[in-house]
Amino acid sequence: MSIVAGCDVGSLTSKAVIMKHNKIIGSFILRSKPRPRDSADAAVKGALDAAGLALEDITYCIGTGYGRDRMAFADHSVSEISCHGKGAKWLLPSARTVIDIGGQDCKAMKLDSDGQVERFNANDKCASGTGRFLEVMANVLGMDINELGPLSRKARSPITLASTCTVWAQADVIKYLNSGTPIEDIGAGVNTAMAKRVAILANTVKPEGDVLMTGGVAKNMGVVATLEKLLGLRIKKARRADPQMAGAIGAAVMAYEEITSRVLEN
Amino acid sequence: MQLFHDVANQIKCQPLIDWKALNRPVVGYTCSQVPAEIFHAAGILPIRMRGIETDGMDIGDAYYGPFICSFPKCLLQLVGKGAYKFIDGAVITPGCDAMRRLDECWRKAGEDYDGIIPGFFYYFDVPHKAEGHGMEWFVEEIEYLIAEIEDYFKVTITDENLRAAILEYNKGRRLLSEIESMRTSETPVVSGSDMFAATIAGTVMPRAQYNEELTQWMASLSQSPPMENVRKRIMLIGSITDDPDLIRLIETDTDAMVVAENLCFGVRSEGRPVDEDADPISALAEHYLGESTCPRMYGRYKQRLAVLKEKIEQSHVDGVIMQNIRFCDLHGAENALFEKDLEAEGIPCLRLEREYGPMIDKGRLKLRINAFLERLGRGRKYASSN
Repeated sequence: MSIVAGCDVGSLTSKAVIMKHNKIIGSFILRSKPRPRDSADAAVKGALDAAGLALEDITYCIGTGYGRDRMAFADHSVSEISCHGKGAKWLLPSARTVIDIGGQDCKAMKLDSDGQVERFNANDKCASGTGRFLEVMANVLGMDINELGPLSRKARSPITLASTCTVWAQADVIKYLNSGTPIEDIGAGVNTAMAKRVAILANTVKPEGDVLMTGGVAKNMGVVATLEKLLGLRIKKARRADPQMAGAIGAAVMAYEEITSRVLEN
Repeated sequence: MQLFHDVANQIKCQPLIDWKALNRPVVGYTCSQVPAEIFHAAGILPIRMRGIETDGMDIGDAYYGPFICSFPKCLLQLVGKGAYKFIDGAVITPGCDAMRRLDECWRKAGEDYDGIIPGFFYYFDVPHKAEGHGMEWFVEEIEYLIAEIEDYFKVTITDENLRAAILEYNKGRRLLSEIESMRTSETPVVSGSDMFAATIAGTVMPRAQYNEELTQWMASLSQSPPMENVRKRIMLIGSITDDPDLIRLIETDTDAMVVAENLCFGVRSEGRPVDEDADPISALAEHYLGESTCPRMYGRYKQRLAVLKEKIEQSHVDGVIMQNIRFCDLHGAENALFEKDLEAEGIPCLRLEREYGPMIDKGRLKLRINAFLERLGRGRKYASSN
């Protein structure tokens, strides 16, 4: 059976997935390089190496993300909004609402039973509800972004960040650090500020049914737990694969559907 | 057709240069509710002022501040930089509050930048209601404007001049309507961006030359084969835009085409003829105010929604893209209502908030447009290879 690939070149990270029989046989993630084409090449090479395959083995590849139109090897490109919907459906077949927090944008989607996006909204005015916000704050706190989630569980008196502007919130965080506020309280405040921004966006699509979070921030339990409280909904965990890979998975699933439909047509 | 694109994409276009070379006056105006026929009747070239080619916002921000629509700010920026020094007059209207403030900001900037206020600088008031005394008021405003033009430019505008101007402008309107029908048909022969460029050109070019170009274009279009690969038919509505690139963004590298629009610079204003038999001033007032489908008019939401629905049906539209410039209360609020009402009837809608300017938000907009087109493509295959 044919082997397909999905490649998602985002603003912060690039991801690639190789699939066979609708199952992941190789994946790779890296920090995006300045040129989307280089990111795409490196991501696909990493995924192919993991699968023990070569580029020639891929029958069909779909690219997505901001670098979707700069992939030399991709047969077609699809927006990351559609790909995250499809990827979320693959990760959790019952998913009807998807909240995707990417490096520089944040999207909320409602899906139909086929994983097609029925309705979506994306952040318009600024990037405060995105992965970049957390990354900047983690930098200021001198820690890895992955430490923010576990850290906030230790908080006793989380701070409140009044500003949603990344730059001004950064100034507030520095002020709290200077005044000796425990770092876990600051970390929890950062996660809460992030969750509040995302909740406003998520509510615009009227979340219902099973809710899934995709993107790297889905791995931050501090943000997820606060978001659940704000939305009054349980957010399901993607156990089948890394939720950060959802866009690339969706692209690969679409590539799989494409060649399947071709076989059926012929 | 190339001439229309040249005119649509640059302020100092060739027809304008040719007109000025003959020492003939030019007046800039800022709103689709200014009757261009009046200037034409006086031997003046009326041009609708545009904010294209803006490469900064230092002047616009200084007089307007940051939290306001970027269209009038771009106009002021260009004015301050001297890009509009060639105009002999300017007519400002309260198209919305941000546009009304252009009058004050321009005057104030004139104290700091030499020579940016033209000799004829006129505030043309436009009521927010067309009914009853609103229409009487507008007729009076037109009469005041005519008197001021006659006084400043030393010309006489007679009813006969006005009737001739209405006939000339109507000729263009009828041609545009015919071409528009070639675009909205089930097998369109003209793209949305070409059509929009042609409509914009009509707000700048001398009317006789414009009509001649339209006639030639229509003749060539009638020989053209239908456009290929038009699978998703889009309608574009919302805030002011005078940039065919916005439509190009929807049509490039996709199988979509903008087959209909309801935009201030589009056929919304130019597609209907003025009554040629009535008293010319009353006929102009009825056309420019009475038929206005702009959300700055009070209490006409249902009428505007009906206009959209009719166009959606006539043009076989698959989805509506509704854009508004940031801080535009009028279109921002109305787009939300349109979205609710149209989606309830099963018409897919995409709302986009953007900055006015030479495609400032291109990457962000393209992502949302592509995702919307993919939504419309449901049930179809995702791919045709690159």
